[in-house]
Amino acid sequence: MPKSKAVRREKPRERFSYDPTKVLTRLEEYGKRILEDIKSGKNPYFDIPMRGIGNVYFDEKRRVIRMGDKLSRRYFLNVAHARKFMQTLLIMAYVKRLVSENKHASLREAYYANKHTIPGTKENTFEDQRESDPIIEDLERMMGVLREEMHLTADRRGYIYGDIVIRDGEDEFNTSKLGMGGWAVPGTVEHLQFVEVNVDYALVVETAAMADRLIEEKFPKKEKALIIATQGQASRGVRRLIHRLHYEEGLPIIVFTDGDPYGWYIYSTIKQGSINLAYLSDKLATPEAKFVGMTMDDIERYGLKNVTEKLKGIPPNKKGGPTADYKRILEEMEYPWFQNREWQRQLKMAIKMGVRIEQQALANKSLEFVAKKYLPEKINNGELLP
Amino acid sequence: MAEANQLFKEFKIQSVSEFFRRNAAMLGYTGKIRSLTTVIHEAVTNSLDACEEAGILPYVRVEIEELGREHYKVIVEDNGPGIPEKYITHVFGKMLAGTKAHRNIQSRGQQGIGISGAVMFAQITSGKATRVITSTGDDSIIEAWVKIDVDRNEGKIVKKEKHPNPKGWRGTRIELEVKNVRYVRSKQGVYWYLKLTAIANPHAHIELIEPDGKLIVFPRSSEDVPEPPMEMKPHPRGVLTDDVYRMAKKTRRSSVKRFLVGEFSRISDKKIDELVEYIAALRLIKTEDDKNVQEQLYERLMKGEVKAVLRSFRGYTKVVKQVAKLMEKPPEKLSWHEAEEIVEAFRYMKFLAPPTHGLRPIGEENIEKGLTNILKPEFVTAVTRSPKVYSGGIPFQVEVGLAYGGEIPGGFDVLRYANRVPLLFDAGSCVTTLAARSVDWRRYKVDDLDRAPLVLMINVISVHVPYTGTGKQSIANVEEIQNEIRLAIMDAARRLQTYLSGKHRRLHQAKRRRTFEKYVPEIARALSVLTGEPEDEVKSYFLSYIEGHFASKESGGAEEVSENA
Repeated sequence: MPKSKAVRREKPRERFSYDPTKVLTRLEEYGKRILEDIKSGKNPYFDIPMRGIGNVYFDEKRRVIRMGDKLSRRYFLNVAHARKFMQTLLIMAYVKRLVSENKHASLREAYYANKHTIPGTKENTFEDQRESDPIIEDLERMMGVLREEMHLTADRRGYIYGDIVIRDGEDEFNTSKLGMGGWAVPGTVEHLQFVEVNVDYALVVETAAMADRLIEEKFPKKEKALIIATQGQASRGVRRLIHRLHYEEGLPIIVFTDGDPYGWYIYSTIKQGSINLAYLSDKLATPEAKFVGMTMDDIERYGLKNVTEKLKGIPPNKKGGPTADYKRILEEMEYPWFQNREWQRQLKMAIKMGVRIEQQALANKSLEFVAKKYLPEKINNGELLP
Repeated sequence: MAEANQLFKEFKIQSVSEFFRRNAAMLGYTGKIRSLTTVIHEAVTNSLDACEEAGILPYVRVEIEELGREHYKVIVEDNGPGIPEKYITHVFGKMLAGTKAHRNIQSRGQQGIGISGAVMFAQITSGKATRVITSTGDDSIIEAWVKIDVDRNEGKIVKKEKHPNPKGWRGTRIELEVKNVRYVRSKQGVYWYLKLTAIANPHAHIELIEPDGKLIVFPRSSEDVPEPPMEMKPHPRGVLTDDVYRMAKKTRRSSVKRFLVGEFSRISDKKIDELVEYIAALRLIKTEDDKNVQEQLYERLMKGEVKAVLRSFRGYTKVVKQVAKLMEKPPEKLSWHEAEEIVEAFRYMKFLAPPTHGLRPIGEENIEKGLTNILKPEFVTAVTRSPKVYSGGIPFQVEVGLAYGGEIPGGFDVLRYANRVPLLFDAGSCVTTLAARSVDWRRYKVDDLDRAPLVLMINVISVHVPYTGTGKQSIANVEEIQNEIRLAIMDAARRLQTYLSGKHRRLHQAKRRRTFEKYVPEIARALSVLTGEPEDEVKSYFLSYIEGHFASKESGGAEEVSENA
């Protein structure tokens, strides 16, 4: 008899859309426009959406953090802009070469590849990777493409385990047949194709220790779940993978973090996107994601009071407060996406109780408890936070 | 205890020459380097003054020959008017004789000691006579060897020859042999002295042959011979009792009144009437016993209420009449006390400022020429202030020149002059140095004064420059003079500032332009990759755009916009 399930795979809403020629066309368009400007005696420029909190807002309708439309104009003929203008073009040309040759480079490689002394001066095109990284970010915002689409990758972090078949270039593999360690998520997931998906949902897990525990307990197999370990804050690759699995494969996303401000923030980033990468929310955020735990209610319900830890910092009602964890929680209470009864209740409770609880605290019951009781119970009963 | 007679056996009357022989330092003969400079200074000054008075464009040639250790022959030759034969001994042999010493006139030289001092110095260091070759342009050239008879303060011609002058040469050449001196190319040496002289006298052509045979030429840059200075009558506010007393003894005027009107400036018949009242008032005030009342009366007198002061004394008309009689006396009968009364009254009276037609500044144009010609700067300016008065009645005038950049090496230099004569010593205590340092140069865009390629020349002109010592190398810190120098410097510095800010702007533009140009090759390569357009063509688009932008900028183009505008 099939178990009744609260979470079930849905219909896909997006299609696999990776197309390298799109990036190349964009780059050429920009180059041509600059050339036209200079030929007709105009000061050529780039319009780059401004970064920073001042140009970010929460889109209530789509429920993601989005970038505003404030632009900064970067001119060639301006002493303060000229260098960045040159750097922008340098990276653009480099990206064109990368993409057309189908090669990938790390941010650090991109920096070294473009660093050289400008002839006749003692000046380098780039003095520091801190100069090239922001230019790449500028390009993402300016052209509306991911840096992964430009074949520029960041450090990889996170892995997945579950009964899905992935095609990565010439290789095809099932991520539950790669041993207990699963499959490490690469910096770029754009080109991946999901050949077979035999899971009902994806469980995003904050700590690797917990993910390993679940794999050992054969949770993925029993519950037809895909485990995605973020190992702390989710990397861009992982966030993009979550987004794709949700929208291209219809997988419900359930997030499992520690019951503390940092865990809730990880959830918030996966769900709504981040201020830093607000311009990528459409590709990285998954507003439909839900939260399974840890919650403050769990402490009472599963009798975990003795395995909680004290929140750090001074509570708001004490002199000098609020600081540290308390301050973070109060900030999170202000987030538009936490403006609902459930979350406000959780966060208020945390402050009132003055405790945090880790995923691993569940091991206090037994090693199997999380896989056999806690997660199946909550997920199948749909006891999830929005 | 010795008897007075005993003591006075050794008593001798010392001649003027004897005095200066013993006190050569007072004439500037101190130190081996300075002594040589002084010898040359005296000769060159005489040459320039003579040429000026004769309206001749000076050509002065200085030659220094090394004869041995600290032993030189100095030759100075000019194209001046020459010296008539009978005056040779006077010019070179007698101290305190000259054409200007007794006149109230701006002059380079000193009181007629100058060249005879040099002859004396040569004589006491080498024992040699000074050889003089001169002609006034007539048919003979005189060659004479001159010595000084120190005891009698008289020149003595040791040997004399007359030569024919078929080419009509005119001028004076003197040759002095001096020992105990040293030629060094330092800032106190001959080279530097002549260089400074050339700057202040752009109408002179000056040449120097150094001991090693090197010829240095400071060519002429102006063809105008400066007008010789004019004699000026002393101003009543600038005289001492002694001046009045002695002038009265010498004058040929018939009465004190005529003497005062005739030999002082700014004294008219009307002023004499006023003077009489003032003297009478002063006499009456002195009869008053109450010190407080006396003070008040002096104050009222200072305010010019002379008539009121007189009326406050009973029978004052009698005193006035007495004083009026004094004015009719023959001047040689004027007593010291009466001279004193006159000078005291002068202090209370108001006079027009002294005439300044006797002052002969170098002039802004000529300073600029001199500085440009000798220093080859990139910027030069000069300011000649109008004449002012110090100490109540001594006219003076200040001019400054500023030269910046070009061949001028880094380091601020002040070139000091008094009546066009370079001052090489005692710079520290000189009012010119104080004034130059008191200016806040940073206000004029000279940020690091001590490293700026900047030369400031200051010339103080007066019939009576207030030197601080006998060496006449430093001007006393007289407030009026310092103020004038400061104002002149600031005026010139403002012009320098205008120049420098323009220069900074141009440098800034060039730097900006370079900023854009250096990125063009990088941009061209990248754009060529992006668009497929040939790199060189892209480069030329950018370069001509920059060119156009800066061309329109010169004529006042639009400003840039900021990135986040």
